[in-house]
Amino acid sequence: MVDLLIEFLSNTGFALAGYQNIIMILVGIVLIYLGIAKRYEPLLLVPIGFGILMGNIPVIRDFGLGIYEKGSFLNYMYFGVMHDIYPPLIFLGVGALTDFSAMLARPSLMLLGAAAQVGIFVTFLGALALGFAPNEAASIGIIGGADGPTAIFLTAVLAPRLIGPIAIAAYSYMALVPVIQPPIMRLLTSRKERLIRMEEPREVSKKEKLIFPIVGFLLCCFIAPGALPLLGMLFFGNLLKESIVAERLARAARSSIIDTVTILLGIAVGASTQGDVFLTAKSIGIFTLGASAFAVATAAGVIFAKFMNLFLRQKINPLIGAAGVSAVPNSARVVQIVGQKEDPTNFLLMHAMAPNISGVIGSAIAAAILWSFLGG
Amino acid sequence: MYGLDAISAHNGWQLAALGTSIVFTGLIILSLAISQIHKVLELWDKRDSYYQRIKKLVQRKHRSEATVSDPVLPKNVEGSVRQFKLLIEQIGEPFPLPKLLDFSEKCGFPHSHSSVNDLLQAKLIIPDGKGYFLWNHEVEKNIKI
Repeated sequence: MVDLLIEFLSNTGFALAGYQNIIMILVGIVLIYLGIAKRYEPLLLVPIGFGILMGNIPVIRDFGLGIYEKGSFLNYMYFGVMHDIYPPLIFLGVGALTDFSAMLARPSLMLLGAAAQVGIFVTFLGALALGFAPNEAASIGIIGGADGPTAIFLTAVLAPRLIGPIAIAAYSYMALVPVIQPPIMRLLTSRKERLIRMEEPREVSKKEKLIFPIVGFLLCCFIAPGALPLLGMLFFGNLLKESIVAERLARAARSSIIDTVTILLGIAVGASTQGDVFLTAKSIGIFTLGASAFAVATAAGVIFAKFMNLFLRQKINPLIGAAGVSAVPNSARVVQIVGQKEDPTNFLLMHAMAPNISGVIGSAIAAAILWSFLGG
Repeated sequence: MYGLDAISAHNGWQLAALGTSIVFTGLIILSLAISQIHKVLELWDKRDSYYQRIKKLVQRKHRSEATVSDPVLPKNVEGSVRQFKLLIEQIGEPFPLPKLLDFSEKCGFPHSHSSVNDLLQAKLIIPDGKGYFLWNHEVEKNIKI
């Protein structure tokens, strides 16, 4: 009886826990706190934070409980991450939620979405310089796209072992957009520039909105076929939304499907951060590079907006360049907040949505390019 | 390997430059394409009025071509063109107009004054500038009878 009790006690989490598990459980609690108390991306941080708790409960090996053990419940959930199933489904929901009117009304603002992707490639160079292998460097660089699903999509094919830290870095920094971006935006713009008012965008017809997802999908996927799963689902979701006749499917895509997949993705990614796998020097490097990727992407967007102003008669407010990092719609909201601090009657949100959405498309294209360069 | 050596060894500069260029190119093409959608739709919506306008233009063009190069004679004169041509060959060129009228009446051509007037308007009979008239063989070649 005593032997049984001793055996039971030796199999409990208290006996099996290492310091890495304790650290990661604390990280999970911090993410849950940020999500609930500070309202930083609660729909992402709460599932990820709880997933970290689930993944860091020490369990006996070969008991079929750990995320990396075949046949376990968590392993089945992780299957969707490793086989790039969740990111396209999230894009389906994003497409069904997004109104592309702002971008269709002023397509030139799409260039800001392209400019912000410079962050991806600069970080890629930085990661190479720090000694990461090219496929790992590309996966780290994509954090600069500020798009969690795209980061997971690329990492799953190029550097599957880094999915945990890269996904956590991408989603954490997306949640911290309101903290990271404003100082960079203020640093790179003068007060006069932040006060620029932009002209009202033209009205976009229903037919335009209906044609766009088809034209956009065909063009983007002919240019970068690797983006097919992501952009295919994004534009399909948008077509469902705009067609009206498939409203039931659009409603499912933007509510039950995206919510279910977000739960599965959050828990799976969180649980993949087991202390012994996650707490490495590489993870620290990934987090450092991820932060710089966000900063560079933001700066590139703002600087390119200023560059465009050299040639434009109707000036654009350079703050909207910061929305070129995807993080829909957080970075557009940040632009609105920073702009309204200078002039409370200046509404930039609608204008910022154009680079914001084109940033989503741009980061998916960038991921496809990196995949085609390094995937073979 | 670290630093710039690592970047160069993995073709980092080329990959980054090419990647950035492709992203820019892709989004530029997309922005150009979508900037044209509303113009194409506008054309499509107004297709009926454009069709009508083109139709009118084509009709006008045909009409002017018909008057310039394909003169069509009034139906009642069509038959008399050959008769007048033979008559003029008998009289000889150049000829005075009263002589042509006189001969045509003698030959029993119906409405000879009106027919000669139609031939003058169709420029089948043209003045030679010296008070006499000529048969216009050029117009006769192009004429649709």
